[in-house]
Amino acid sequence: MQTLVSAQELTKVYNRGVEEVRALDGVTFDLQKGDFVAITGASGAGKTTLLHLLGCMDIPTSGELLMNGQSTRGLSDSALTRMRREQVGFVFQHFGLLPTLTVMENMTLPALFSKRDAKESAKELLEKVGMTHRRNHRPNQLSGGEMQRVAIARALINCPQILLADEPTGNLDSVNGEAILQLFHQLNRDGLTIIVVTHNPTLANATQRQLVLRDGRLVP
Amino acid sequence: MLTLALNNLTRRRLRTALTLLGVAVSVGVLACLLAFGRGYEAGLGRELNNMGIQMMLVPLGCPYDAAARVLKGKTLDVSLPAESVKTVRKDSAVAIAAPMLMATLPRPSEGRTDLWVGVDESVRPLKPWWKMKEGSRWFPDANSVILGAEAAHAELREVGDTFFSPETGRKFTVCGVLERSGTSDDSQFFAPLATAQAMFHQPDRITAVAIRLKDPTLIGDASTRLQEVKGAQVVTMAEMMGTFLNLVGSVRTLVFAITVLALCISGLSVFNTMLSAVLERTRELGVLRAVGASRGQVFRLLAIEALLLTTIGSALGIVLALLAGRFVEMGVRLFVPLAPSETLLVLSREVIQQCFAVGIIVGLGAGLYPAWQASRLQPVEAIRVD
Ligand SMILES: Nc1ncnc2c1ncn2[C@@H]1O[C@H](COP(=O)(O)OP(=O)(O)OP(=O)(O)O)[C@@H](O)[C@H]1O
Ligand SMILES: [Mg+2]
Repeated sequence: MQTLVSAQELTKVYNRGVEEVRALDGVTFDLQKGDFVAITGASGAGKTTLLHLLGCMDIPTSGELLMNGQSTRGLSDSALTRMRREQVGFVFQHFGLLPTLTVMENMTLPALFSKRDAKESAKELLEKVGMTHRRNHRPNQLSGGEMQRVAIARALINCPQILLADEPTGNLDSVNGEAILQLFHQLNRDGLTIIVVTHNPTLANATQRQLVLRDGRLVP
Repeated sequence: MLTLALNNLTRRRLRTALTLLGVAVSVGVLACLLAFGRGYEAGLGRELNNMGIQMMLVPLGCPYDAAARVLKGKTLDVSLPAESVKTVRKDSAVAIAAPMLMATLPRPSEGRTDLWVGVDESVRPLKPWWKMKEGSRWFPDANSVILGAEAAHAELREVGDTFFSPETGRKFTVCGVLERSGTSDDSQFFAPLATAQAMFHQPDRITAVAIRLKDPTLIGDASTRLQEVKGAQVVTMAEMMGTFLNLVGSVRTLVFAITVLALCISGLSVFNTMLSAVLERTRELGVLRAVGASRGQVFRLLAIEALLLTTIGSALGIVLALLAGRFVEMGVRLFVPLAPSETLLVLSREVIQQCFAVGIIVGLGAGLYPAWQASRLQPVEAIRVD
């Protein structure tokens, strides 16, 4: 097994005025390639914060994150940007689709930024998430489940090693939630490492491993 | 990238439209101004050349004022002795020297003031644009008069009619009527020089001598020599043009200041549009950053938006200038002295390019800060705002 992600004593402290919030407090764990992991915990436990750190979208106050055995500490903004662009795919809780762009344009944004022609892989991905017939629609013409699938397709367009998803079923009914779960299973079988933050026990129980957070610490 | 920027602009249609309008108006004004400046200079030069007059001998005093008055058909208080024409004609460089006596004749009963110009035959080659109506003749006798088109209209006289001037107690025969020429000649009354001198009690006096040279290049020498004529001074057309252009220049400086102000305001409105676009799209920009847009790419996106805004605005402004140019020109004529009679607004390619360049520079200048702001957004900060 190959260690893909290694979190070592990850700590994130927010300064809210005079108050200090330790959103994450010394979180340590390893993830192997091909893992399907759920991060769970009460609201405010630090799940989103952890996911942002794993996605190189934020920098830990202390501790270190290794990706493929390489430290991300002290990386420049452009190096972090490259990480986000090529190593990880991120699915936001609120989907994060651009309202002015079509499904196809939204999907291919990461490819646009890495100046790659992604037409072929976009078609394949659309097929995979079952949105081919909606490719020229805009987000406001889609249902929540459809938007979520587009968001997943976008996260995968640059063929990342890890997929990070924040409450991917949080805004969906059980039928759509089930569909997303099936999609994750399929992607995981194809070798993708997946980390989901979720409150949904069905989704959490379907994963191979659960990381439970409480007040910024991992519950053993 | 371009579609992305364009899409964002069409999202807030009204705001985009207002910003475009602001840019368009100021660029339009700038275009009119530049075009007008060029047109005016070119037009004035052409008009002065058409006159066939290269120099003018006028009484001592403010030379430009005197020359302008003579050109525009106004009288002078001082005059020259008639012999000065002979002196001028003797000069080797002079081809034609035409004496003129100008006098105003108040017409209290009509509520206006007529301008009489005493001339002799030598003035005709200097007025190449003169066209006489059917049946006109050059002064057959001392009591004949040639009327400018408007003067004839005001007096309700045709060729051959008689014409009584109660103020001077003289009776004239209209021997000729000029076709409308668009110059100040239209409203003048032309009489034989001697008649005018007698009428206005100015025997042997003249107001000015209009001069054409054998060769325009002799102008320097000729004017030095003629400067020696007693009580007189020489004004060359080149000097006159310079003076008028200075005058116009000061008007233009004012308008230019206003334009700069307008450009600043439109710059501010681009700035405002872009800054609020950044603010209200914070989360979206954060998403872009999160899915792999670099700082440079976000910056470029916003810069392209600003650039699109000003480019389209500038293009509209130039269209506006083309459309409104005519009206602007009419307005300008009311305020600017000695406006040449031909089209003043010449929107040359150069002017258009300059305006475009200015518009784009202003737009870029105004778009830079918001774009920079946007590029500084951290992906998490941007995504977190709810
Ligand atoms: N930008 C911030 N500034 C200050 N405090 C923050 C910030 N972001 C998060 N926090 C705090 O950090 C703690 C962890 O937040 P986080 O969003 O990671 O929780 P979560 O587990 O994702 O909760 P939820 O299930 O509600 O999404 C919370 O107490 C939150 O208020
Ligand atoms: Mg959360």
